[in-house]
Amino acid sequence: MIRFENASVTYPGGVHALKDVTLDIRDGEMLIIVGLSGAGKSTLIRVINGLVPLSGGDVKIDGVSVRHAGSRQLREIRSKIGMIFQTFNLVKRTTVLNNVLMGRLYGAGTLRSLFAWYRPEDIEIAMQALERVDIVEKAYVRASNLSGGQQQRVGIARALAQQPKIILADEPVASLDPPTSHVVMRDLQRINRELGITTIVNLHFLDLAKVYGERIIGMRGGELVYDGTAAQADERVFRDIYGRSLTADDVMSEAATAAATL
Amino acid sequence: MTAAAGSGQRPARPRQSLIVPAGLLAFLVITWLSLSDQFGIGFDLGAIIEDITNGGRILITESDSAAQRGLLVPNWAFLPRTVDPMLETFKMAVVASVVGCTVALPVAFTVSRVTAPNGVVLFLGRTVLSVVRAIPDLLYALMFVAAVGIGPLAGIVALVFFNIGVVAKLLSETVDGVDPGPIEAARAGGGNRTQTVRWAVLPQVLPNYVAYSLYTFELNIRASTVIGIVGAGGIGNLLFTQYRFFNWSNVSIVVVTLFVFVLLIELISIWLRRRLV
Repeated sequence: MIRFENASVTYPGGVHALKDVTLDIRDGEMLIIVGLSGAGKSTLIRVINGLVPLSGGDVKIDGVSVRHAGSRQLREIRSKIGMIFQTFNLVKRTTVLNNVLMGRLYGAGTLRSLFAWYRPEDIEIAMQALERVDIVEKAYVRASNLSGGQQQRVGIARALAQQPKIILADEPVASLDPPTSHVVMRDLQRINRELGITTIVNLHFLDLAKVYGERIIGMRGGELVYDGTAAQADERVFRDIYGRSLTADDVMSEAATAAATL
Repeated sequence: MTAAAGSGQRPARPRQSLIVPAGLLAFLVITWLSLSDQFGIGFDLGAIIEDITNGGRILITESDSAAQRGLLVPNWAFLPRTVDPMLETFKMAVVASVVGCTVALPVAFTVSRVTAPNGVVLFLGRTVLSVVRAIPDLLYALMFVAAVGIGPLAGIVALVFFNIGVVAKLLSETVDGVDPGPIEAARAGGGNRTQTVRWAVLPQVLPNYVAYSLYTFELNIRASTVIGIVGAGGIGNLLFTQYRFFNWSNVSIVVVTLFVFVLLIELISIWLRRRLV
């Protein structure tokens, strides 16, 4: 269980990216966060694993405070939280397997990972993670030789290799085309359902949010402005979250159509 | 679309920096002053013409000794005597490159803004490295000849310091420019600093590291001529002894050997870099 208690973030420049957010996320939930860019979606996700430090309040994971964790304890917390990024964040000059093994860094320890002397079970976990996203045949290919969709699946495999309890996905499909986006979102949905991993996803496109989200959270100006089921989230709700009327750019299928007709 | 469509105003042209024109002007002024009578450094084209007759004696001269017939009359009989010193130079360069580049690797990660453990270490590391780099190779050689005595050991230690300065500087600047995405991914997965550097940063800069290491190896072969003059071993020692006795025909052979050797090393290095990078 992830519990936000009046969590606030003020960046050094003085921007209030998160204002007094209180929120409970149950184990095994598939949660989708929507909002305009700059609404605080990325910040909300990054305070969970401490990549962005809190300036007020606290975030607790199974009762353990992220804000007051020391660096060793923070690494332990992070080892159980997989993360997926908009730009994949793979090391392009090395193999797919080496990228996925980055998910085993905490488990393998400093000395073993320093000399690439991974235990057979670590490599087995990495291979199984690649099998789960159906890309194991690329294990020894350089990451730079993969397409965007394939790279994002490697990113998911890297998160899975941590054997996480939580997966955070920061705009995981924003760099992908619509069909590939659906493949990646279905992968995330399957992982959430089959492995029971709590999955928190930032999305911009409303139709994707409605299809794949069980619970939807809306952010505007660093504040939580909506929290409900996907079924309840109709056009009026989204207008409220966005603070303006909806356009074709907010919906993936229509944005694709609009782009094609330009 | 018409030009009046946008409501934004055209901005005023920003003021241009005067640093580049001022710098160019400074160079011109210094050059002009150096040629003038009061502040000059005695640079005079006429002197070159006058001294060329002197130079002529060095290029070709009558002598009973095969070693002293001038630079343009190489004494090929001297060639076998260059083999051992050249090999010594080669070994010195290999040892100094391996040791220097190995030490430079962790040093580079300590003095890059991206991978330094904290600001204090970064500042101290950069300061120490600046001092290491500010000392020229010849001065290192002099210091270590004084410390450990005449011979290749002094030369190797001197080259090691020189190599650390060069490779750590170049590599740390490359690290400054790596893609930060993988670093964030490694940290998000629970990796510590060492693991992040090893798996998120090192693979990104490895080809550059290899290229810099090969480059310093070439520099070491070249530097060995200079540091040999102060007694730090290698081909430079031989070059300097022959020069001191005015054995221009032997000096000529040493220069030719060195030239061929450096060219060979450079060709191999280019070939290797193309295959590795």
